[in-house]
Amino acid sequence: MEDQKVLDLVKELVNRLISQPQNPNPNPNQPISVNPNSSSVDLNHSHQALRYAIRILSSRMTPSIAVDEAAMAESIKRQLVTQGKSSEALTFADLYSKFSSKTGPGSINNKWAVLYLLRVVSEDRKISRKQPNSTVSRGLPAIFDSQLSDNSRVSRDKERGWSGGVLVVSKDPENIRDIAFRDFANLLKEENEVSEEVLVRDVLYASQGIDGAYVKFDENIDGYALSDSIKVPRATRIMIQKLCELGWLFRKVKGYISESMDRFPAEDVGTVGQAFCAALQDELTEYYKLLAVLEAQAMNPIPLVSESASSGNYLSLRRISVWFAEPMVKMRLMAVLVDVCKVLRGGAMAGSIHMHAQHGDPLVHDFMKRLLRRVCSPLFEMVRSWVLEGELEDIFAEFFVVGQPVKAESLWREGYRLHPGMLPSFISSSLAQRILRTGKSINFLRVCCEDRGWADAATEAAAAAGTTTGRGGLGYGETDALELLVAEAAKRIDKHLLEVIYNRYKFKDHCLAIKRYLLLGQGDFVQYLMDIVGPELSEPANTISTFKLAGLLETAIRSSNAQYDDSDILDRLRVKMMPHNTGDRGWDVFSLEYDARVPLDTVFTESVMSRYLRIFNFLWKLRRVEHALISTWKTMKPNCITSRSFIKLQQAAKVKLLSTLRKCQVLWDEMNHFVSNLQYYIMFEVLEVSWSNFSNEMEASKDLDDLLAAHEKYLHSIVEKSLLGERSQSLYETLFVLFDLILRFRSLADRLYEGIYEVQARSTDDKKKPSRQLSGKSAEPGSWATEGRKALTQHASKFLSTMSQELDDIGKKYSSLLTGFISELPVQQHIDLKFLLFRLDFTEFYSQSRPNI
Amino acid sequence: MPREIITLQVGQCGNQIGMEFWKQLCLEHGISKDGILEDFATQGGDRKDVFFYQADDQHYIPRALLIDLEPRVINGIQNSEYRNLYNHENVFVADHGGGAGNNWASGYHQGKNVEEDIMDMIDREADGSDSLEGFVLCHSIAGGTGSGMGSYLLETLNDRYSKKLVQTYSVFPNQMETSDVVVQPYNSLLTLKRLTLNADCVVVLDNTALNRIAVERLHLSNPTFAQTNSLVSTVMSASTTTLRYPGYMNNDLVGLLASLIPTPRCHFLMTGYTPLTVERQANLIRKTTVLDVMRRLLQTKNIMVSSYARTKEASQAKYISILNIIQGEVDPTQVHESLQRIRERKLVNFIEWGPASIQVALSRKSPYVQTAHRVSGLMLASHTSIRHLFSKCLSQYEKLRKKQAFLDNYRKFPMFADNDLSEFDESRDIIESLVEEYKACESPDYIKWGMEDPDHLMSGEGNAAGMVDPNLPV
Repeated sequence: MEDQKVLDLVKELVNRLISQPQNPNPNPNQPISVNPNSSSVDLNHSHQALRYAIRILSSRMTPSIAVDEAAMAESIKRQLVTQGKSSEALTFADLYSKFSSKTGPGSINNKWAVLYLLRVVSEDRKISRKQPNSTVSRGLPAIFDSQLSDNSRVSRDKERGWSGGVLVVSKDPENIRDIAFRDFANLLKEENEVSEEVLVRDVLYASQGIDGAYVKFDENIDGYALSDSIKVPRATRIMIQKLCELGWLFRKVKGYISESMDRFPAEDVGTVGQAFCAALQDELTEYYKLLAVLEAQAMNPIPLVSESASSGNYLSLRRISVWFAEPMVKMRLMAVLVDVCKVLRGGAMAGSIHMHAQHGDPLVHDFMKRLLRRVCSPLFEMVRSWVLEGELEDIFAEFFVVGQPVKAESLWREGYRLHPGMLPSFISSSLAQRILRTGKSINFLRVCCEDRGWADAATEAAAAAGTTTGRGGLGYGETDALELLVAEAAKRIDKHLLEVIYNRYKFKDHCLAIKRYLLLGQGDFVQYLMDIVGPELSEPANTISTFKLAGLLETAIRSSNAQYDDSDILDRLRVKMMPHNTGDRGWDVFSLEYDARVPLDTVFTESVMSRYLRIFNFLWKLRRVEHALISTWKTMKPNCITSRSFIKLQQAAKVKLLSTLRKCQVLWDEMNHFVSNLQYYIMFEVLEVSWSNFSNEMEASKDLDDLLAAHEKYLHSIVEKSLLGERSQSLYETLFVLFDLILRFRSLADRLYEGIYEVQARSTDDKKKPSRQLSGKSAEPGSWATEGRKALTQHASKFLSTMSQELDDIGKKYSSLLTGFISELPVQQHIDLKFLLFRLDFTEFYSQSRPNI
Repeated sequence: MPREIITLQVGQCGNQIGMEFWKQLCLEHGISKDGILEDFATQGGDRKDVFFYQADDQHYIPRALLIDLEPRVINGIQNSEYRNLYNHENVFVADHGGGAGNNWASGYHQGKNVEEDIMDMIDREADGSDSLEGFVLCHSIAGGTGSGMGSYLLETLNDRYSKKLVQTYSVFPNQMETSDVVVQPYNSLLTLKRLTLNADCVVVLDNTALNRIAVERLHLSNPTFAQTNSLVSTVMSASTTTLRYPGYMNNDLVGLLASLIPTPRCHFLMTGYTPLTVERQANLIRKTTVLDVMRRLLQTKNIMVSSYARTKEASQAKYISILNIIQGEVDPTQVHESLQRIRERKLVNFIEWGPASIQVALSRKSPYVQTAHRVSGLMLASHTSIRHLFSKCLSQYEKLRKKQAFLDNYRKFPMFADNDLSEFDESRDIIESLVEEYKACESPDYIKWGMEDPDHLMSGEGNAAGMVDPNLPV
């Protein structure tokens, strides 16, 4: 553009600026330093102003703000709007759009500069209106305001010293020359170094994450820095560097927030993460407020206390550093948290923030607490809805309770578990367990028990804990309140659950039923069952029909006192045939099972039932052996015919008979003693004692876990004490060999007595009806019975010899096995078998005859 | 299949204690005097069908046969408030109503004559049961009907129902006072032979001891029959509790008896009961723990058999077996503790030839009968000191026999016709060998006992009927 034209334009502008002010706002009180009446002065004045303006324009002075035309326009517009001149703002926008669209030759190149100039001019006028005392003449660019103030301070001080290396020589504000000179000095100063004011501004920008004129973000050093080309004192540089850390931190925090927010709908930031972002945002807002204040103040001089005191610009770098001290701490904390939390979510995030909250500095502590309160609120809300409603409101998998879809029977054991990673450290693991269990209880009630009553319990719990069932009742730092809520809820829900289990689902009744049927407590039932299925079970396992056995079970129930039992219980009792191998007899595979059904199958799981089954098999076998012994006794009972006449036998044969019978009886006695004492041991020391412990623990149970544990203990104690445990394997095996031996003895005794009956029958026949000797069942050809007394005697003594021999064999085997068994008892340290030993050896029969025991 | 038990009450004494027994059972099961179940008796858990059966009209009828040769006692029952309880078809009173005149032989002989009638009744009852377990005979051994007819019934049952159990509650006469029945020793001896050979289990109820207990323990200066009978009914009902209130063990009679009677011949059981009360003293005894009960049960003063043993012999006496039936609310853990104490204090002597121990059965108590004590206990035991009771019978018999006193009354009957008194001798031998066997049980060598001298044990021939031959007292 031609110089003349520029000059004309400038002149025009200066003239306008100088002449205009009176017109729009003719305030009589406004002590305008310019006298409107004095046109010569006016003219002179305008001339001077023009010169000054040209000088400024020709200088290389640049404003310290970023060159952004649109932003400038926007800021002007906003300013207009905030001043309530929205129509003017519209006009401006219109003009601006025309202005900016003009390109090409003849248009203004430096549009931003024009806008900036206009804005500064308007601001300056506003200020001059507001500050009537200002000595600054109109038309001076506001950008020098601070400098001018600075200078005026100097001039007021009447100190002809240097400011920024330029000697201020004049104190007369009216002296345009002086003013210009001072400005010139400043310009010089700026050429040498950046003034503090600018730096303060830059720092303020930087601390908002905006690059300033000099302080810019440097990717290389990852931080804001004053570019090296700018000459500033080293101290200032370091100071700026320190202050700009805040900007770096700010960037980090801000970056995290915007990143999280951007990610939000798509990726799972999680509610805790959102809360965290929100909390950070709030903190930043606080910070913005501070910055806004600082920024505003940056333009103000310190209010003078007295006329004599000098007033510099309010903000210096040093002042900023004071102002920044606190935000710096916070920002640093936030940055640390942001770093830590970048990869964390949910409870883990809250937990790690909590770790940082353990700080001695009350400032930090309070800050973190505030933050945590926000962060934890979704988490606590989850806890609340979990313990009171059983709802797992956790779409982002942030909660420390994790659910997974399972079948109803394993809901309690496997349906929910704690996610230790998501467990914030401020929630103790015992509390977490309680929380887990309470919600689980609710779900268990809802799913397995089809119960609705828990809602009342939950409401009651909430009322007791002093929180409403509504949302947002809890927060971080109220761990006590949380604990109280959980405790109340747990107490009531667990109580309710147990009540439902006990009363509606009759847990104890079913336990008793299992004890009665699977653990053979209902003696008469077991006996009849044994009686009627016995013959069936002697058949090979593969020929036995389960259907028939089920019918027999039904019969046994009907003919025993079991018939008075609840039909609900009896319906659950079934026959179960275990898988059989070839050669197995019915005895080996028969068992009873009890169908516990939902929800009790949570207690009586499949593995639990299989253990019951093992106990049943053992007890059943024991019963069978006892049964066999009793029937043997019946064949040799006191009034049986064997105690009668054997007149035809020789003396020796009689003695033989006598001794064989005695042997048989004594052996029977020993076996019976063993079996019945084993039975007594099982009844008193195993079943009843375990049951009574279980009953007590059942009474004391506070929640389902307690109950499960109690039941587990009960079952375990029965298994261990019945020698079914792994560690008593060898004892158990010996026991079964003993049982088999007893069963062998039984058949031997049966044969013995049958033989004796025959001998006896023959001998009485012989005596009473010799003519009918050939009749009857024993009339087989060649039978000894037909050959008279001598043959009879011979046969009898031969038979008795064999029998006696066999009895001796069994007796010996039995006694060595039993000795082995008994001597092993005291060695079993893991189970309390001293009771069994005590019973078996009550009269010290074994320990006296075999001192090694 | 309730494993029914048919009760035969024979003779005056048998019917009296039988009636007390049924009274007690009715009370415990909540059955009214008419046999109707009381409204309150809803708690269940008990087995009424072991001893009762249900008629079509829901009456509970005792499986009991009331048998006597004279009508007095049975008439008394039939005029009492319990008259509607029994099945009238099960009552047998001899037509002539003249009784047996305290003569065993008369009772036995009359029994034989009415065998058919009575066996018909028994068969009918047996047919009415699903799985008959056995018979219980209530009688006294001293009189005529209970002892004589009872003996005959024992032989018949043994023959006809050889697979079934036969248990007796036999009342032994009071030997402290002179009885009006002078032939008591004869009757006792002859009955004892049948009890030895034809019964599976004899619960000995010794009137001497019952009287002593009534006087010493219950402080009744002059106990009546009713009072001693109530002791008997207490024992009888207590000994059947495990059958009537099924539990883990001892749910049938055979199981109960098998462990008690390891040696077939030694099947005479003593009983002890504590705490003992009669109705008007119901709140006399309060302190009842399991240990207390079990300890008291081992004290001779609570045992319902007087042993007549001298101190030296008494110290030799041993228990062959013990079963304690504890009734009431008992903590099962106390049982072991009690057993331990008893062993520590050596309160009990057991046989040495085999293993033995105190068996304890826990049983429920009837919810309908209020008692002042929490726990009560019955002991059933086979104890060798019972041989002194038999020795006493023997010696009394010998005294009488030496004098040949009162034998004429017996000679009137076929068994002793033609002055054939071999039955007496045989019975004596059998009782003697029984005493010997009990004595042998006191030694550790019981297993070898009798092998050296089988002749001694197997002396004598079969009796005239050929039914019973006592040769082999194993």
